[in-house]
Order: sequence, then C-alpha cells, then structure tokens
Amino acid sequence: MRSFWPIYKRELFAFFVTPLAWVLITVFLLVQGMHFFLLVDHFASAGQQISDQTPLQAFFGNTVLLYLVLFLLVPPMTMRLFAEERRSGTIESLMTAPVSSVGVVLAKYAAVVTTYVAMWAPTVLYLVILRQTGEIDWNVAASAFLGVLLVGGGYLALGMLMSAITKSQFLALVLTAMVILALFILGVGEFVTREGTLMHDVCSHVSVWAHMNDFASGVVDSRRLVFYGSLIVLPLFVTVRAVDAWRWG
Amino acid sequence: MISVQHLVKRYGSKVAVDDLSFEVDKGEVVGFLGPNGAGKSTTLRVIAGFLGLTSGTVKVAGHDITKESLEARQKLGYMPEAVPLYPEMRVVEYLTFRAELKRVARAERKRAVWDAMGKANVRDVANVVIGHLSKGYRQRVGLADALVSNPPLLVLDEPTAGLDPNQIREVREVIRELGKEHTVLLSTHILSEVEASCSRVVVIAGGKLVASGTMDEIAKKRRSAGLFVMVRGDVDSALAALRGVEGIGKVTPAVRSEEGIHAVRCSWQKKLDETQVARATEQAVAALVGAGLSVREVSPVKSTLEELFGELTGARAESDTDGSGDEAAA
Repeated sequence: MRSFWPIYKRELFAFFVTPLAWVLITVFLLVQGMHFFLLVDHFASAGQQISDQTPLQAFFGNTVLLYLVLFLLVPPMTMRLFAEERRSGTIESLMTAPVSSVGVVLAKYAAVVTTYVAMWAPTVLYLVILRQTGEIDWNVAASAFLGVLLVGGGYLALGMLMSAITKSQFLALVLTAMVILALFILGVGEFVTREGTLMHDVCSHVSVWAHMNDFASGVVDSRRLVFYGSLIVLPLFVTVRAVDAWRWG
Repeated sequence: MISVQHLVKRYGSKVAVDDLSFEVDKGEVVGFLGPNGAGKSTTLRVIAGFLGLTSGTVKVAGHDITKESLEARQKLGYMPEAVPLYPEMRVVEYLTFRAELKRVARAERKRAVWDAMGKANVRDVANVVIGHLSKGYRQRVGLADALVSNPPLLVLDEPTAGLDPNQIREVREVIRELGKEHTVLLSTHILSEVEASCSRVVVIAGGKLVASGTMDEIAKKRRSAGLFVMVRGDVDSALAALRGVEGIGKVTPAVRSEEGIHAVRCSWQKKLDETQVARATEQAVAALVGAGLSVREVSPVKSTLEELFGELTGARAESDTDGSGDEAAA
C-alpha cells in the first residue's frame, strides 16, 4: 500500500495536465450553473405556490439533469485510467515496480473520486447564495451531497472496471456510458412494472432516480448505503482481479 | 542473482518459452541473445514480474518471483523493450515519481534521481517534457528509471533498439559503466552488442536454450569453414589441384602479394566434422605438393560469429513448426 501516494498524486497530475479535464469541469459547472439559475428563477416567479419542494430538493432530486451530467462526465473521466496505460505500455513499468495490484487500483480510484469531488465543490456556493434569501436545512444539503458522492462513486468504479478490461479508451468510454445508461433504465423500470412483482422490487432497488430523490429530501436509507457500497466495492474487486489477470495473458 | 529453472511460459496453446534454465551470477554482464520472436522479451518480463509463468521457478536475488514478488521486484531495475514513459511528465518529475514508487526514502530521493540522471547522462534534459524527447534520450530516461532505486540487478530489454550508431555507442558505454556496480542482464538480437558489452552470453531460439558461456567459449563452437593457403608456383595448377580434393567446394584466388606467390581461399563443400576437416586438409597439402608447388602457409578459416549465431538459432528454427526463428541471420 506504500505505492498508494505516488500513484494517487500522479493520477491527479495526469488528469489535470490534460485539456480534457478543464473542458469537462467547465462544461460541468456551466450546466450546473444554468440549472441552478433556472431553478432559482422559477422559484422566484412562482412564489409560494410550490411550497412542497425546496430549491435544494429540486436541484438534486426529480431532475434528469443530474444523471445527464454524470452520464457525460464519468465515462471520459475513467476511460484512461487503465486503458491508456495498457495501450502505451506504461503498465509494464508500473507493475514491475514493487507495487501491489490493490494499491494501484485503490490509488487510481481515489484519484478519480477526488477529481469528482473537486468538480462538485464549487456547487456548495449555491447553498451560500440560497442562504442569502432563505433558510437552508443543512442536514438535507449534507444528505444530498452524500447522494451525489455515492452515485458518482458507483459510476466511477464501474467506469474504472470498464477501463481495466479493454486496451481502447474509446471502448472503455462507450462501455461505461452503456452500463450507466442500462443501470438508469433498469431503475426507471420501477415506474413501469406492477407493484409487488419481483421485477418491480429489483428495479426499485437499483433505481438511481428514486435514490437521489430520497437523498435530496434528506432521507438516508441504509438499504441505499448498502447498494452503493456494493456498487463501489464490487467493481473495485473485479478490477483488481482483472489487473492480476493480465499477467497470464 | 537470477536463477531460472525449467521456465515454461505458454500463451494459450502457443509455447513462448520452453523449459529454459540459466543463471546469472553477481557482478556479471550477461547478454541474452536470440532472433526476434525467440522468447527473449517474454523471459525478461517473467523475471521482472510482469508476466506470470506457466511452470518452473524464477528467483531474483534469492526471492521467488511468484511467492515473494514485491521483494524480488525491489531488487531489480527493469527497462521494458518499448521504454514506455508518461509523455506528459518532465524527466525529473517522472524519475521522482518512479523513485517514490520504488520506495526510495524521501530524504534520499532527490539525490537518487540526480545520481541516476548522471549515470544515464540525461541531466541536460531534466526539465524537458518526456513527450518532446528524442528516441535516444527516451531510451536513457528509461535507463535512469531502471537505475533510480540503485537496484543490485538490472534487466534491460533491447536497450539499443532503434537508436542511431552514435546513440548505440553512448548507451553501450553507459551499460559498460553500470556493469562495474550492477549485475546486468540485457537482451539483444545483435551479436556485436554482446561482444561489446557482455562477459557472458545466453543464446535462445524458439523458446529453448541453444548455447551459453563466455564469448570465447561460444567462439570455439565456430566451425571450420575452409582453408587459406599460400603457395609459390603456378596459380592455375594450384587451383586445379585444390579442386580435385574431396570435400573442397569453392576455390577462389585471393590477392597476390608478390610475384609468384599466390593466396587461395577454399571453402568446404558441406559441413564437415573435425576428422573430415583434418583429412581434407592433409589431402589438399599433398595435392599441392604433388602438383609441384611450394606450400608456404596453410591456415584454417573459421566461420564468423554471425554465421555461428545463424547456425545455432537457425537449426532450431528449422525444427520448429511455427518458424519463429526466421530472422536468425539478421
């Protein structure tokens, strides 16, 4: 695990040194800023009529915009993690240094999660802005950001796994986008299947949409925590196995 | 330092390395020689811990590469064939990263990087982004990377591949210097490389060991290729006499040094064993004397090292079905 820090630092460096990182961050903040602006504008003109929802809930929950940005953001963030190293052969120098597969995988994952958190960090400003005009329930805000972290963490873990199973960054990008989309669509199945059926249970268990609505209204359900915990741990585990498996290729 | 015992590496059904055993002792500079596709890179990758082995044992500095992988890797500096580097980093940044990765203590890291850059002769590009470096510099940065933790053992996969003659000479000088402090195993398919920098050589072809020993020992395996004779008298009768000898194929008059003295080169018709060579030599001398010529000098002509290399690796390739020794003579 002593290999964690150097790889973690290098990953962050490698990401932020490319124009891709800054393009992604700019697009992300632009979309989120417009989203926030439209929401605030809407709430300001609608007045008291929609009191069952706060701007904060509307920002994180019941909106497709959150998934749209994650869908666009996560695949390009994770695609290069392993695919690029395998394509360029740097994986050979990396794995012949005294490093463990677990250390490499965790360091790369931690770096990409750090990047993700850094992207979201400026949105805390929205809370500060909202506070100028009204009350903010900080518990709800914290649970909403926890939701964002968990959903993103799960998606990033899946993306890293996709990057580990192919040498092509583009293929990793496409695969990650497909998996994220598939997971989302499976979740939407909650609304089209009949209640009480097994399919409905499965769909509602993996419904990112419904989960985010809960998190956005301050509900932290332990089932959700378990789900996202496994959505992160399982891909990480498989990634470690994949990294080990190359040695036998 | 390295002990390879009955190493077998299969890729699916294809056997890349087949029951290979050799040793590299402390302080040696060993050349790992073989045609392209002979299994050199695969073997080195197994030694470096990048590839898993199918069967056999590989020990690096006493550590089994499968059981004590981390310890073994720590003792070894490896330079992969393609010299993969992160193009977006500066040389000094990259080497510092590698030093940290290879567990060089924080206090010594700066010095270790500086020393490695000095040994590999890349200090003048310390702050250049690696993506902008020429091939020769990249190669030496790779060498600096292998050196940065000052490992007792260096494994270099074709360190001079793709370089121009000047760069090759530079890299060879660096390797010769390194040989004084480190045990070095380097692979190559160029014979002169081994002659230039190695104390011992291991030759493989088709994944099998075909020869190993010092350069002199290998050179002894060269076959007799023909005879060189100097005679006084009529050159045409000398040629005719030699052509009549059983075993002699081509006879060519060489440069005439002075009036009446002729040098002639003959080569054997086919590969002869030692007794046949001796008999043919005797007969040649007798024939020359019988033709009324004065024999001044008879010396054996040995095949070149290149020819020997081709013979060693080519013979193996012929018996191979996949023809992986095609470039043996290159």
